[in-house]
Amino acid sequence: MSEPNHGAHRDVPEELERALAAEVSLRSRLRHVAVGLAGGCGAALIAVLWATEPDPLPTRTQAGFAGLIAVGLAWAAFAGWVLSRRRPLFARDRVLGARLALVVTTLTGVAGVVLAAVRGTAAGVLGTALTGAVLVAAAGLLLARAQSRRRELLRLRDALQRKSS
Amino acid sequence: MAENGCSGLLVVRCQLGEREAFTELVHVWHVPLLRYVRGMVGSQHVADDLVQETWVAVVRGLPRLRQPERFAPWLFTIARRTVVNHLRHAYAAQEVAAVEADVVAEDNDSLSGVLDGMEIEAGLSGLPPVEREVLILFHLQDLPLNACAEVLGVPPGTIKSRLHRARRMLRNIMAERGHEA
Repeated sequence: MSEPNHGAHRDVPEELERALAAEVSLRSRLRHVAVGLAGGCGAALIAVLWATEPDPLPTRTQAGFAGLIAVGLAWAAFAGWVLSRRRPLFARDRVLGARLALVVTTLTGVAGVVLAAVRGTAAGVLGTALTGAVLVAAAGLLLARAQSRRRELLRLRDALQRKSS
Repeated sequence: MAENGCSGLLVVRCQLGEREAFTELVHVWHVPLLRYVRGMVGSQHVADDLVQETWVAVVRGLPRLRQPERFAPWLFTIARRTVVNHLRHAYAAQEVAAVEADVVAEDNDSLSGVLDGMEIEAGLSGLPPVEREVLILFHLQDLPLNACAEVLGVPPGTIKSRLHRARRMLRNIMAERGHEA
């Protein structure tokens, strides 16, 4: 197919341009990344608090903790849905999001281990450390994949630019 | 088919997250897309809405497009899905897709050589959707047979038979309107 007319800029309605500008907004994507991380990491920290409680908690407190964990996980799931269906991350956004995830999961892991060390048993510390390590490893893997995909696209972009020039 | 080096590059830049590339991509493809959708639905107002819906779907699907050089067929596939959904809703019980004959007709229609975009556009409104869209994609958008087949999800042979039938119907319509074939 012949390349369409590049001089047709005036034919794109402003309303469409505005809608698409909102659709590709980086801020919106990173806001959802932050919401998902806050929800997930908040739920993890509350779970550590609950698990390392030396005495059995009153039923109402248990219900409160369970509710908070559910809310945190729901926000994480919502953010995951938005970022996979409504505002999928582009390569550069993916790298940013993965870096953010690595920082936040590392901080959450460290905070969880400190909490467990102050309040819980050795088994609690070990369990928290292992969970934290898994989360940090997952974030690291996401970052490695995002960087690899970005490098691949950069190579392709350069090749296409050379070809067209 | 000069399989869009420029569009391929724009798509890759979009996938990287260069926001200005989205604007360029929309500017390059908006008019062909609008032309296709308007040809299918007839109304400018409805076409504008469907084109916007198509572009939103394109932006959302772009990170998953693995072959940037195949952007054009992918774009028209999404547009077609949007149009078909609209027609389904508009005509409720009416099936948009017609059952295709398996026979592949040879493309020896004498009209093929003399049809041009203007003539086709003039007669399009009288054709059923299936025949209309194959003419739009092949003659107005200049997509090759294989790309049309990809967009419509049928074998290239079926495209040939649809084209053959569509041209015949168009010739009849043009003849009724007093045009010389």
